[in-house]
Amino acid sequence: MAMPSAGDRAWHAAPDPVIKTSAMTKCYGTTVTALDQLTIMVGPGITGLIGANGAGKSTLIKILLGLLEPTSGTAAVLGHDCVTDGFAIRTLTGYMPEHDCLPPDVTATELVTHFGRMSGLPATAARERAADSLRHVALYEERYRQIGTYSTGMKQRVKLAQALVGDPRLLLLDEPTNGLDPAGRTAMLELIARIGTEFGISILVASHLLGEIEQICDQLIAIDAGRLLRADTISSVTQASAVLLVEVDEGVDLLTAELVRRGLTPAPFQRGLLVELAGDETYDIVRDSVADLGLPLSRLEQRRHRIEELFRADPELIDEPRAEATGSPTMGVPSAS
Amino acid sequence: MPADAQAATAVSSTSGSSPTQTSGVIHNIGYRRYDAERLGRAAIVRALTWHSLRSAFGIGRGAKAKIFPALLFGLMCLPAAVNAVALATNPSGAPIVGYDSYVPSLRTVVMLIFVAIEAPNLVSADLRNHTLPLYFARPIHRLDYPVAKLVAFLLACLLMVEIPLILLWIGIASQEHGASGVWEQTLRLGPGLLYGAAWAVLLASISLLLASTTGKRVFAMCAIGIPLFFSWIVANVLAHVGAQAFGPVASGQPSALASLAGLISPFTLLGGLLRWLQGNPAIGPAYHPLQPTTIGSYGPVYGALFVAATIAAIAGLIGRYRKVGVA
Repeated sequence: MAMPSAGDRAWHAAPDPVIKTSAMTKCYGTTVTALDQLTIMVGPGITGLIGANGAGKSTLIKILLGLLEPTSGTAAVLGHDCVTDGFAIRTLTGYMPEHDCLPPDVTATELVTHFGRMSGLPATAARERAADSLRHVALYEERYRQIGTYSTGMKQRVKLAQALVGDPRLLLLDEPTNGLDPAGRTAMLELIARIGTEFGISILVASHLLGEIEQICDQLIAIDAGRLLRADTISSVTQASAVLLVEVDEGVDLLTAELVRRGLTPAPFQRGLLVELAGDETYDIVRDSVADLGLPLSRLEQRRHRIEELFRADPELIDEPRAEATGSPTMGVPSAS
Repeated sequence: MPADAQAATAVSSTSGSSPTQTSGVIHNIGYRRYDAERLGRAAIVRALTWHSLRSAFGIGRGAKAKIFPALLFGLMCLPAAVNAVALATNPSGAPIVGYDSYVPSLRTVVMLIFVAIEAPNLVSADLRNHTLPLYFARPIHRLDYPVAKLVAFLLACLLMVEIPLILLWIGIASQEHGASGVWEQTLRLGPGLLYGAAWAVLLASISLLLASTTGKRVFAMCAIGIPLFFSWIVANVLAHVGAQAFGPVASGQPSALASLAGLISPFTLLGGLLRWLQGNPAIGPAYHPLQPTTIGSYGPVYGALFVAATIAAIAGLIGRYRKVGVA
């Protein structure tokens, strides 16, 4: 059917931001302040919520789901107030908790079908959407096996499928790559990116690993100790300093000289060269240089500065993710460039 | 052309948003929106109740989970079957099993095992596996969860207690000649069903409260089984001691110890409730301390404690889920 569905049109016409909080504070008792005067605005697309453990990410998600009440300030999701309209929010929202939450003695199909029912789907629709959701997260024949026999990666995908089954307009994912090995982490991130782009579902993904956010998010919200550190689109903060990675199998020195002759300032990086990306003409210069010299070009790739550099001001936030992100492909760009 | 029409159908079924058009294409179906009706909170709670009721009998939980419920249910129906056979072979004889108390010791043992095994399945498993956040993130109120579980387990206990009574009635009524006889049996069945409901309400609420205190299934079974079983033993021992020491049959009045001992255990509390509702008939010389419970003149105390214990257990269960963590 070529016509967009009614839900589609209503969604695109909706003027409200996906998530909006205003001076929101959440205190536990009198001593612990989990969120402190947090004002954020999140548009459609994939949004990263970054912060160290204990920064208030999970508290924020629970408030957005209407499960906790903010001590002061307001919060709204998809135009619904989080305090008074939690039912409407939870109808439109899928939630993937941080911790293990799956019973081991049921099959993935049974579990996802059950939570489809709990999301308000009639029995037949719940069965069909459960099968669809499990296929989207790439669980096929395994879905008839008990969840207790699954690997961590498969369990994470079941958690994602149960969030997806009710056809949400917004997914709240709390540390979706927790406990995954590098390959599983990459697969999960690709899956989230696909859900955000192809399925048209807005996603708020909480993580303490900056490297992940860089890969899949359109926007970024960094919080620390319950306060907003920075909120912006990824491109707006990294575009200005984009660089081009050029790798040739041989003749790096020749290429360096040629690029300098043509007015660029290449810097050696690993087996290749990094060139400051000024615009489309930079691509042309590199292409012409390589072609004129007849060098075997093996790689031409636009890279961004690592997002860690955005948070230089807060070493505590950066140190921990760096220590944990050993598995992710890190190619830091010299900050001097 | 038919071929074109078929092709068009195939194309629309790949991109269609109707959830019924799933056959044909398996891979790469793309994402399909769900635009059909969504059920409200009441329907979701009903679905959770139905799911929990089925799981109390092991339905939807694999073959092993069905063994104990089936065994216990069969055991509970045995007296009704024996009674039916006895009446069939000797139509002039009186029924050997009554509607009111059925077979109290059998009912006590069967229900004790049933609630100790199945109440943890309904609530402890979700606590152990941290599944509650998945429920709380759905469009229901957080207290809908314990209410649905309580209603489901109450219904499960009702089925365990009442179906044998109905089988008993069928066995007896089928030997009656004429509508008046059947009607008379039906009138006797009514109070029996009501009393059975009292069993279901009290046992379901107490056992769910105890099960909700821990996420570990074995601990939950012990938390239910041990207090229920030992309080039953202690109540009977005290009633026995009270009866022996003061001689209920000789004096005509049971001692206060014998009369109040029944308040200790839910099972003897239910026994005392029945005797009070029956107007406390005199205990014959064949009185055995295990049942029925001696209540003396304390019948209203049994009635009041039954109501209070039920309300307290339900309030405790609700309070437990009011406080339980969100994630």
